[in-house]
Amino acid sequence: MKMATRTTFIQSWRERSRRLPASLVLGALAIALVVAIFLGVNFGAIAIPGSVIVRILLNSTGLFHFARQWDPTVEVIVLQSRMPVVIGAGLVGAALSVAGVLFQGMLRNPLADPYLIGTSSGAALGAAIAFVLPYDAIINGAYFSLTPMLAFFGAVLSVLFVYAIARVGGQTPVVTLLLAGVVINAVLVAIQTLILTISPHAQFTLDSLFSWLAGGVSVTTWMPDVIVGSFVVVGFALAWMLSGALDAFGLGEEGAAHLGLQVERYKLLIIVVGSLLTAAAVSISGLIGFVGLVVPHTMRLLLGPRHRLLLPASALAGAIFLILADLLARTVIAPTTLPVGVFTALVGAPFFLFLLRNNKRAYRW
Amino acid sequence: MVDNNPLLDMPGITFGYNRQPLLYDVHFQVRAGEMVGLLGPNGSGKTTLLRLISGVLRPQQGVVMLDGRDSRAWGRREVARRVAVVPQEMHVPFAFSVEELVGLGRTPYVRLLGSHTKEDQNIVRGALQAADIETLAGRIFNELSGGERQRVMVAMALAQRPALLLLDEPTSHLDIKYQIELLELVQKLNRETGVTVIAAMHDLNLAARYFPRLVLFQRGIVADATPAEVLEPHLLRRVYGINVQVGILRGAEHISILPPGNDAVAGDEQHAMQPRVHVMAGGGSGELLMRALADARIPFSAGALNIGDSDHTLALRLAQDVITEQPYSPISPAVLEEVRLRLAQVTVLILCPVPVGPGNLSLLREAVEAAQRGMITLLLAPVALTDGNASAGTLTDEDTLLRQTGIEVRDYTGGEGVKAIRALLQCGARVVNNVKEVVEVARVGLSGSCGPPP
Repeated sequence: MKMATRTTFIQSWRERSRRLPASLVLGALAIALVVAIFLGVNFGAIAIPGSVIVRILLNSTGLFHFARQWDPTVEVIVLQSRMPVVIGAGLVGAALSVAGVLFQGMLRNPLADPYLIGTSSGAALGAAIAFVLPYDAIINGAYFSLTPMLAFFGAVLSVLFVYAIARVGGQTPVVTLLLAGVVINAVLVAIQTLILTISPHAQFTLDSLFSWLAGGVSVTTWMPDVIVGSFVVVGFALAWMLSGALDAFGLGEEGAAHLGLQVERYKLLIIVVGSLLTAAAVSISGLIGFVGLVVPHTMRLLLGPRHRLLLPASALAGAIFLILADLLARTVIAPTTLPVGVFTALVGAPFFLFLLRNNKRAYRW
Repeated sequence: MVDNNPLLDMPGITFGYNRQPLLYDVHFQVRAGEMVGLLGPNGSGKTTLLRLISGVLRPQQGVVMLDGRDSRAWGRREVARRVAVVPQEMHVPFAFSVEELVGLGRTPYVRLLGSHTKEDQNIVRGALQAADIETLAGRIFNELSGGERQRVMVAMALAQRPALLLLDEPTSHLDIKYQIELLELVQKLNRETGVTVIAAMHDLNLAARYFPRLVLFQRGIVADATPAEVLEPHLLRRVYGINVQVGILRGAEHISILPPGNDAVAGDEQHAMQPRVHVMAGGGSGELLMRALADARIPFSAGALNIGDSDHTLALRLAQDVITEQPYSPISPAVLEEVRLRLAQVTVLILCPVPVGPGNLSLLREAVEAAQRGMITLLLAPVALTDGNASAGTLTDEDTLLRQTGIEVRDYTGGEGVKAIRALLQCGARVVNNVKEVVEVARVGLSGSCGPPP
């Protein structure tokens, strides 16, 4: 009897929308994020017991006062070295995933990712300029080197440029936006190649640029985390406010207009928010691919397309995904650190393909 | 159809996607609770009209008055609370469930961060009920059949609680069962909730069956009346360019459009429709006139007109016979001969204020010859020069008349054109100030002469 009701329940669930309840998913993701952060801090060149980590973290809040039964260097490693990297990875993953949701939702294009309309090449060009310029060494002692700043501004400027080019007669057609993005990408890559070719110490620059392009969370202090974190918090809040508009964009621009949306205004808003999130992420991580493409798709397959739920779920999942990828990158052949992008693709792709093959019917672009 | 407080009022709007207007000076009014079917061939501007009403497009001239206020002044959100659109087809890339999609209809009412209130949920449930798709609520929209999807789109539009429901060829992708089901649904909604409906329709038979008011559309309104009046073979032939028979099956409500049963009947009609008015126009100068003649059911021929001229396009739709010349070419002797033959058959010749150049001067000379034979010749004055108070009858001075025709301004032949017009005036050609007057005079001229000319 019980079996029977159970199967009908599963059947009806499959028949209907094959979706998981929202609170369950968000709760599970939140728990998973905490676990991921612990794992991230736990593993590394030396393993630190979980109980110690808990006590150190609780002490650092100022509310608890556990007796110090551990090596003071462990505390330094946890609080000043590993935590910033793990939190940074989480922020980057969340930012890229949310930006991916924004761009996919607005462009209604399955291939859309945060780098599509110019951010990646703009950031890369900014980084290349930073590597070529001699100033980096001079203010190396300062907290923020030139590379993240130029990468950030490169990303933002290139998107604004693409948007300005694509805007014709008060409208910004999606196709024009995509094509302008492709063209500007090509131009910026060309300029970057030119700069690297004529730069005096080309070999050194190429090496550092390669490792930057491959992606990796390069955070050594709390400062970048705070800056990027504020971008992510504000960006996410804005994105969440746009969730109703993003849903309406699913009907196409004319459909959204019929629902009372000022389509062009929202389009610009979505582009600005998505680009700021991407630029903030890129400034501390380089170009980590795949996160912004796959996490939104995965969450959409599991939860459906409503952005009110999709956005927070993608932010959490993106953070978890990148923390774990970064952990693998740091530990697989420690002490050498591999590019994170390797793991996001190697782990993410098969998982995504698995979901896609089991969910063919729900995905018709 | 004049109402002091119509739900929708378009007092003379003009719109074009590029320089050439697609809709020219369209007047259209709809009262609350009406059910209006919009007919017209592909490319006639039906969909454009709907997009102008919904506010997605803005007219280049004129305003769209919604509920007594310019729809631009309402703002997008307020318009979306009054007008809902059911598109021809909707492509949704994401796997929205039916309930979620219908819930999107509440978008114009939901605040920036607000979620659906109890009331919103009730309205969504009501919309699902009204469209009879409660059983589909949990299904994925993309996996539904065409007819089911169309119902979901109607439900989504209903969730907007609109006063005006626009449907853009709602049945064109459906098989006959779903077509009828959908129109029954729309009719039921119109009767029970009083929602006003404007639907662009392809199928004339379904339109006649379900819409008490039909508007025949061809870049402007050709006819606006009951199905029995609008679905008239002559009108349909002019607008759609096909011969049809209209049969009345059971009562005036059931009109059926059939292809012609036998060619003899159609041939007879053709003979009876032999036009006795000829229009010389070009460059848009004859647009208003030709439309007015068509409205007055006065059969006319037109030409010679160059292919590509907007008047040529319109004449092909509205005129019984069009004499055609190659694009951008001067009038050739062969075509001129055609014009001569045509002028020998008509009783009234109307000249529109078209610019005169070396290419079409020969037409004017042909007109002079016809006028000398005693043809009733009317010279339509250009709109800009028309003096509201002066009427053609009171003015006799030839120079004043000549100035009224505006020929000096549009003569590019070094005086030859002016000479021809002067000759026409001397032969008794009348200058007429507006289109309405031309139609009157043409009608009088036609009734004066008895029977078709030899």
